[in-house]
Amino acid sequence: MRFRVIPVLLLKNAGLYKGVKFKDHKYVGDPINAVKIFNEKEVDELVFLDINATHEKRKPDLDFLRSIASECFMPLAYGGGINSVDMIREVLNAGIEKVIINSAAVHDPDLIREASKYFGTSTIVASVDVKKNLFGKYVVYINSGKEKTTLNPVNWARTLANLGAGELIINSIDQDGTLMGYDFDLIKQITAAVSVPVVAAGGGRGVQDFARVCLESGASAAAAGASFVFQGKHRAVLITYPTELDILMAIKEINL
Amino acid sequence: MNYVDLNVIHHPLTKILHKQPYQICSRTVMDTSDPNIIFDTQGVCNYVRKYENWEQNQKVTGKNAELFLESMVERLRKAGRGKDYDCIMGLSGGVDSSYMSYFVTKVLGLRSLVVHVDTGWNSELAVMNIQNIVQKLNLDLHTLVIDWQEMRDLQLAYLRSGIANLDVPQDHCFIASLHNEAKKYGIRHIMNGGNMATESILPTSWGYSASDSWNLRDIHKKFGSVNLSTYPILNFWDLNLRLPYIDRMEVIRPLEYIDYNKSQVKEFLIKELGWRDYGGKHYESVFTKFFQSYYLPTRFGYDKRKAHLSSLIVSGQLTREEAIVELSKPLYDPSELENDRLYFTKKLGISLSEFDSIMNQPICNYSNFKNQVELGKKFLRVVRLLSYIKHKLV
Amino acid sequence: MIVIVDYGLGNLGSIQNMLKRLGFHSIISSEKAVIERATKLILPGVGSFDTGISNIHELGLWGVLNQKVLLQETPVLGICLGVQLMCKRSEEGSLPGFGWFDAEVLRFDKRFESDKPLPVPNMGWRNVDINRQSRLLTNIQENPRYYFVHSYFLSACNKEDVILTAQYGIPFAAALNKRNIYGVQFHPEKSHKFGFALMKTFAILS
Repeated sequence: MRFRVIPVLLLKNAGLYKGVKFKDHKYVGDPINAVKIFNEKEVDELVFLDINATHEKRKPDLDFLRSIASECFMPLAYGGGINSVDMIREVLNAGIEKVIINSAAVHDPDLIREASKYFGTSTIVASVDVKKNLFGKYVVYINSGKEKTTLNPVNWARTLANLGAGELIINSIDQDGTLMGYDFDLIKQITAAVSVPVVAAGGGRGVQDFARVCLESGASAAAAGASFVFQGKHRAVLITYPTELDILMAIKEINL
Repeated sequence: MNYVDLNVIHHPLTKILHKQPYQICSRTVMDTSDPNIIFDTQGVCNYVRKYENWEQNQKVTGKNAELFLESMVERLRKAGRGKDYDCIMGLSGGVDSSYMSYFVTKVLGLRSLVVHVDTGWNSELAVMNIQNIVQKLNLDLHTLVIDWQEMRDLQLAYLRSGIANLDVPQDHCFIASLHNEAKKYGIRHIMNGGNMATESILPTSWGYSASDSWNLRDIHKKFGSVNLSTYPILNFWDLNLRLPYIDRMEVIRPLEYIDYNKSQVKEFLIKELGWRDYGGKHYESVFTKFFQSYYLPTRFGYDKRKAHLSSLIVSGQLTREEAIVELSKPLYDPSELENDRLYFTKKLGISLSEFDSIMNQPICNYSNFKNQVELGKKFLRVVRLLSYIKHKLV
Repeated sequence: MIVIVDYGLGNLGSIQNMLKRLGFHSIISSEKAVIERATKLILPGVGSFDTGISNIHELGLWGVLNQKVLLQETPVLGICLGVQLMCKRSEEGSLPGFGWFDAEVLRFDKRFESDKPLPVPNMGWRNVDINRQSRLLTNIQENPRYYFVHSYFLSACNKEDVILTAQYGIPFAAALNKRNIYGVQFHPEKSHKFGFALMKTFAILS
């Protein structure tokens, strides 16, 4: 099955950034031009995450979202500080297809239930950031990786799906920005536990990784950040995206 | 063939901006929309004579060109021993920088650090071209991303100032960034893709110097609002004294020493490096495309295609008839223009009506702002004097 | 004048945006008077069947839509929930649909083979096959694919109405057409170049 390949763009003060393991963010440039380029590259879908919104308790900039949405002719998902039904409504009305909820779901799980009822499960995406603790056990983190919880990601994923999240994004903080491959184990555990589409994120490097995490670990989509904005050993900022042929070839190779 | 550009003749500001009466060069397609153009008794413009002069007295060809390139490569290899790179060059995804990347790497065999300056207006084609070139030639790429809020403010300041050359913000930081990166990596040789074969002609009135930092700062001071804290600026002394004489930075134009034919080069790039053509010159930047194809012609009656095409005519790569056919094509497809206008204004953060009113404001000249023209002349006199003295002493 | 019917559900802005990019003007409206004057209609929708149907009734649009589509034969394009509302009924709800297509809407996961359940909703880019030609498919590209996101699928009783089919564990109807009535399960406004071609074809239909 042709899985989705999704660039994830991180926003901070209206600029795009990309970090490693949620730290040391490097400036990537203007988001609007990035969306225009991705749109022209006919990417499957785009995800925008405002990485400081939760921390700064900021509301989404709707004008900004409208200007991004009007450059995009593929599905667009947005996350960052989303914590109320009203906020979700505003974001969806701005032209965004899906809203991503992370920290807010931990503080108020009912938000997922209410929102998916009002707006439909396919518009509500729950995102889970995961890091291994000293004993190698997976733990859920919130607030852009700054706050530890006591939640186990597999159980939490199950809960979120039951509450009505139509899709889950599972992000490995340990692998994030390293371009060293996904945490295939983590993804496998999650996809085995839920029946909603799962998007793998964190460490994905190229089409081989994307194909592997989808066709072997059960993810419906592979998300990546560094892979699409950095080029070469100096990690030079350059927007790239695999061609349709690249993706189909990778699928073929895995199936062999 | 009798060709008259009605857009120039009927331009509302023609009496102020252009030379009267209308006249077009009998050899090229340069016309009186350049107010400084001079025609001789045969109706041939000064740009043709200037090129012919260069071709006869300064152009290096054949064996001499080969020798120059060989000795240059020798010199750069020596300077690069023990270092990671022999030279540095900019890559925009356009024809010249793309071909130069190939030429310097594969033909001259030099190790280059390739720098791309991202000003926030890259077209997808440009980005794809850069990716292909860098991957296929196995080059080390560095991208310098200019802070968008600062770039936007500077570009808006230029737009509001009413001057012709809106592309200074992009061009200046390109020059400054390249020099800064060179210094950072201890590289003293900058490869520049400029060449007389395809770009010998460009009137000053259509595009005053992008390297004038006083002009840039003054325009920004009067019309900008965001502090330019990271935008790289190269001031006069850096550019004219420190870099060439103290840092001993050398700018080399390798394309000047080969038979550089634009259409052949494009064909080669397309076939061998997966390069894609995007129509006009410098259309790798959406801003530049809108600036050259809409802003300049509409507000000033300046059509830069005339300069580009005339450059190809004088170097024998295009006939005047072919150039006239090109010029008679519209600059912009109407629905594309509408979409680009929306994008342009959206990016700069102004409304369409604000843009329209800016377009109707009185125009200005770069000389209405602080500039280094006089300083430049004085400096040149001093340099000439010093070099005369040095020559006499030796 | 293309009118995008606003009954409270769906990403209307995106549809309008795509039409605008193609050079076509459109109006988003929930007003009977505006819909009455439409030369073409688009019925979008993302959400639940019953909410969609009751919203349309509450806005007083049930009559005018039937009139425009069945009597005046105004070309109409249903998108996602929009095409589902055009069917007779849906497993998702209890209210009757427009019934313009002799079809019903069924839920995916009730029909998967139990040892190979696929995640629901069907979310992503899927290839489609042409079942029969239609004016809507005039400029369709080779190997077309579109973006789907749905938990319920179209099951047509009249195979003649099916113009495109797709697969998601089981085959389902991806697009329907009967005279002036068109419906697509996928989202052309989110299917970039493939969507552009389809929207343009619809917009220039005579």
